[in-house]
Amino acid sequence: MLLSVESIQTFIGQFHILEGISLEVPSGSITALLGRNGAGKTTTLRSIIGLNPPRTGRVLFDGQEIQGRPAYEIAALGIGYVPEHRAIFRDLSVEENLRIAERRKGDLAGKIDFIYELFPDLKRLAKHPGGKLSGGQQQMLAIARALVPDNRLLLVDEPSEGLAPIVVEQIVASLRRLSDQITVLLVEQNFHMAAQLADRYYIVDDGHTAHSGKMADLAGDQALITRYLGAA
Amino acid sequence: MTNFLKQNRPLIIGSLAAVAAMAWALSQYEPKVAASILLSGLTLGALYFLVTSGLSLIFGLMDVLNFAHGLLFMVGAYMGYTLYANPRILLNTLPLLLALAGGAILARRAAPMLPKIPGGQAARWGLWALAVALLLLGSWGFDLAPLASTGISAGGDVPTAEAQEALGLFVGRLLALAASGIAGGLALALGQPFAGRSRGPRGLVLGAGLLALALLIAPARTLGEGAILGLSSNLRFLIALVVGAGSGAALGGLIEWSLIRPLYSRPIYQVLVTLGLVLVGTELVKGVWGPTGYYMDTPDFFSQRGEACPSPNLVAWLGDHCASIDVLGRPFPSYRIFIIALGLIMFAAIAVLLRRSRLGMIIRAGVQDAEMVQALGINVRRVFTMVFALGAGLAALGGVAAAPFIGVNPGIGQEFQLQAFIAVVIGGMGSYGGAAAGALLVGLARAFGDQIVLSGIQLPFMAEAVKFSPSIARASTVLIMALVLLIRPTGLFGKKD
Repeated sequence: MLLSVESIQTFIGQFHILEGISLEVPSGSITALLGRNGAGKTTTLRSIIGLNPPRTGRVLFDGQEIQGRPAYEIAALGIGYVPEHRAIFRDLSVEENLRIAERRKGDLAGKIDFIYELFPDLKRLAKHPGGKLSGGQQQMLAIARALVPDNRLLLVDEPSEGLAPIVVEQIVASLRRLSDQITVLLVEQNFHMAAQLADRYYIVDDGHTAHSGKMADLAGDQALITRYLGAA
Repeated sequence: MTNFLKQNRPLIIGSLAAVAAMAWALSQYEPKVAASILLSGLTLGALYFLVTSGLSLIFGLMDVLNFAHGLLFMVGAYMGYTLYANPRILLNTLPLLLALAGGAILARRAAPMLPKIPGGQAARWGLWALAVALLLLGSWGFDLAPLASTGISAGGDVPTAEAQEALGLFVGRLLALAASGIAGGLALALGQPFAGRSRGPRGLVLGAGLLALALLIAPARTLGEGAILGLSSNLRFLIALVVGAGSGAALGGLIEWSLIRPLYSRPIYQVLVTLGLVLVGTELVKGVWGPTGYYMDTPDFFSQRGEACPSPNLVAWLGDHCASIDVLGRPFPSYRIFIIALGLIMFAAIAVLLRRSRLGMIIRAGVQDAEMVQALGINVRRVFTMVFALGAGLAALGGVAAAPFIGVNPGIGQEFQLQAFIAVVIGGMGSYGGAAAGALLVGLARAFGDQIVLSGIQLPFMAEAVKFSPSIARASTVLIMALVLLIRPTGLFGKKD
């Protein structure tokens, strides 16, 4: 198991957001984290990367306990974070947005051709400030940024949010291409997108992991989808 | 282009109005008077910039309003002056501080390699108590007054031989402080079980190096004093700039690490802590150097007098180093030209650092979203400390540069703090270009204000010029700030959100 989350509980201020989340992400797969707005999906990712450290429970990355360590140390173990709303650095050029993610000198040089092949738009816009990109381009940049160092796991939060369907298709295609090289834990509201990509799923409801299984089975279970995710 | 015009209309109108006002004001004076007002404004602007730039960087990156920035300016001025005129006090205190810091760093880095100290919390408090006891023992009866005395201040110079302690006693103090540092470092390491892991031997080497340096300086105190005072005043001044800026940076880093870092989630407390620091720091400075000020000589490079002076122009000055340079028929002190140049050089250097270096890239990214930078695997806290130290160093550099110009006294920090805050607000919080523009504007306003106080304003149809009280020069900057904020609530270059 590349990542195991064992019944973590996370508080933000005095609010008890995660009341027991457990999940496992096997190596070489795409695992989807589904659930309604406010169910705790984003907080789960932030707890894993260490931005909202869990108060109890364990997080194991490659067998190593990582909960409670500072976010920069966790990330440096090989976890890439593609946050909600992309968090592109507006004042940095596209190229700088990639270069800042280097953990070792030369990280970017080794990956740049692959990244530009995956997202040809970024090559054309290399010198443009990140703030001037469209939403879809920013999403591509956010994914590309997480690919610069040698990451083994990507935490991807709502990549389809606010994007036109055709752009979503592009993102889906690129994530699918990545999936044979890198493990992905994907948070997604867009069930259609998640169904296309993921091998396995977890449903988060009210701070708990409520359900899990194979994505193929979920797609056929309309009752379950309606119950936890609303209309699909 | 039209878009740019539309979005920045207030900014454009504002700058046109400023230029028009300045042109009108300049037309009221003879060219030579106008030129010297402008140059005075630039001089002040350069000094304000050195304070403002750090203030703005620190606020932009960490949202900390550092009210102690003026204190760092003052510390720079005092440290620079001390090295320049009376290095004895430095040579007799620096080794003690080095021993304390060296011991602490050594112990903190070595702690993970030692067998575990039993006792947990109790052992920690015990170590802290031991550290404080050793600190008190080591500094017991240490008298700074004779070391700080110079012929001007304390009613007569105390000879070095009398002022400083015998070598044996001094080394004893060194050892006590080093031991105190070691105890404190161990206590720190016990409190943070994860810190100090996997850092390699760099910390150990640094700690041991500081200790060794302290022991090396101890027997060479008198020798060192003679050597420093024997240097030419130009070289001494250069060293003073470096030492002043360096000690400001070290103090700034220490303040961030010890006092600001625990308070990042509590901004009100940061304001209280930094304000408190100003009070404590000012009194400490008064305690060591006395409540009255000092006058620092201008180095020889800027103070030649004679037949040929004032130098007819900048190129000739490079040859004769006159105390003043002729500007359109009026002498202008050449040292102030140096301050302007220093301001310009630092402006360019920081701009290059921000634009071209990896640290600069991280700072620019962190200003927007420090959390995301952290999630990329970058230790943002360490970058915070570095930027705090950098900003503090810039302010302290300004303090040293200001010392021969306005003198050294316990009040200069607060004066510059206030004006620098006004400049930052005018320029826009967190914008580097804005900090420079604000500093320039405040400097020019002060210079014009001073001139208006001197000569008054001659209005048409009035027999006598309208006179103003000297406070108008200070008030003018606040007026500009109010005006800017009315037109543009985020300051001239502030980001819209």
